[in-house]
Amino acid sequence: MSLERKVGAALFEVIDPELGINIMDLGLVYGIGVDYEDNVEIKMTLTTPGCPMHDSIMNGVKYRVGQLEGVGNVHVDLVWDPAWNPGKMSDKAKEMLGFG
Amino acid sequence: MKSDTNIKLPLAFIIYALIALVVAQVILFFNSDLLLAGQFRLPDIWMGAHFLLLGFAVMIAMGAMYQLVPVAFLTPIWSQKFGFLQFILTAAGVTLFAVMLGFQPAKAIYGGILAIIGIILFIIQMVNTIRKQQTKNMMTYFVLGAITSFFLTIIAGFLLAWNISYGGIVSHSSILYSHMVLGVAGWFTLLIFGFSYKLVPMFSLSHGFSMKWAKSAFLTYVIGLVFLIGSFWFGFVYLETLGWILLFLGFGFFVLDIKEILAKRIKKKLDKPFTFSLLAIANGLAIHFFALVIHLIGAENPIIWSWLIFLYVMGWIIFSIMGYLYKIVPFLWWTHKYSEKIGKEKVPTLKEMIDEKLSVVLFVFLIISVIGLVIGGLIQVGLMVFIFQGLLALTSLVYAASIIRVLFV
Repeated sequence: MSLERKVGAALFEVIDPELGINIMDLGLVYGIGVDYEDNVEIKMTLTTPGCPMHDSIMNGVKYRVGQLEGVGNVHVDLVWDPAWNPGKMSDKAKEMLGFG
Repeated sequence: MKSDTNIKLPLAFIIYALIALVVAQVILFFNSDLLLAGQFRLPDIWMGAHFLLLGFAVMIAMGAMYQLVPVAFLTPIWSQKFGFLQFILTAAGVTLFAVMLGFQPAKAIYGGILAIIGIILFIIQMVNTIRKQQTKNMMTYFVLGAITSFFLTIIAGFLLAWNISYGGIVSHSSILYSHMVLGVAGWFTLLIFGFSYKLVPMFSLSHGFSMKWAKSAFLTYVIGLVFLIGSFWFGFVYLETLGWILLFLGFGFFVLDIKEILAKRIKKKLDKPFTFSLLAIANGLAIHFFALVIHLIGAENPIIWSWLIFLYVMGWIIFSIMGYLYKIVPFLWWTHKYSEKIGKEKVPTLKEMIDEKLSVVLFVFLIISVIGLVIGGLIQVGLMVFIFQGLLALTSLVYAASIIRVLFV
């Protein structure tokens, strides 16, 4: 399995504590990049600017990815453009929120 | 940007407030005969009312603002050390003031001065914090409107306490009515409006809403307040009528925005305590409507107005706060205890930190108590007032325990 895929799989374990849904199914992760030294860059957003869980979720992402074998430095790039919207959620997340 | 506040600061306010809530309801329970007579302007009731409004509602609002202002305005608290000093002075002042009102009203001014110093420090803290906000928005104006009302409320309150101690200030009634309107409608209502624009979309995960009525809601409500307070001073009935109409309309505009936010929500099944805060909004609109109707039909019975104010305080302000606390306290504690553990080990969700089933039972009892109290008061049945105030005191005790329990999860 490539390191990108391993990182993606690990991020399914980082849960938004308010919604109880992982950040991958919520569609918060926009991209995962790995350079030739296996440093990982994760481009992600949050459901709303000023989300009170801001620091906690970002630290969670850094920690979980940092635990993977062979990973160099982990950098999280928090972006607001494009803004998150409900269309970015997986069907599973939509179902969990009762959003059809 | 790291915006979180030292958890001890908001928690200190919240724990003090929960104790004050229980104390207030117990005082009101032991004085239910005075409540029945609509005698809300007696020392024991003053003591209960000020423990409820200053001790519980104001202290909760302050604690919540220490947490929410950095989150909502994306700016850190101006000075946390100053915040702790402010807590100590305000808690000591409010306690002394409320107790003095009950036992030695003539000396209440000394407690009042201490409470006022604490409140002024809070206002300085918030104004300095909000000044640092880079882009002002409608929420900023609601919060500034609330803080301004709060400042005027304590000035009016100080004049009342001065009059009780030393006399000499005319227009005691005008100052009293201004104090009440500025306090409950100006400070609390504008504050709840402002934060609801952040909290309702956040807790319902709403997207794509417009907030198109926010400016109208703010301006209409503030002008309504000015007209209503003006009528107390100048005695023009049409000013009072206009004031009540504008307050109702302003509240209505706010409700239109909340309706749109909820219609565009992604989280279809809302948490129960949050639903209770939404119910409080419906209560608020209904109470504003009742006030307008009662004014238009010319009812001047002080018992009716006293119970309407009670309904305003409990059904709108206190219920809103009680619902939101089930979100605010778990968030605070979660951040303190689990934020470093996210991604490392299984951490509870915010919802798992509260007993939602118990909250539903408590909210049902709160609603029953308030309805029972108002009916008992209006039809003048002492046993009803006694029983339902007892139920309210007991429910408040269990509610306070259920919130404090979160800190042991």
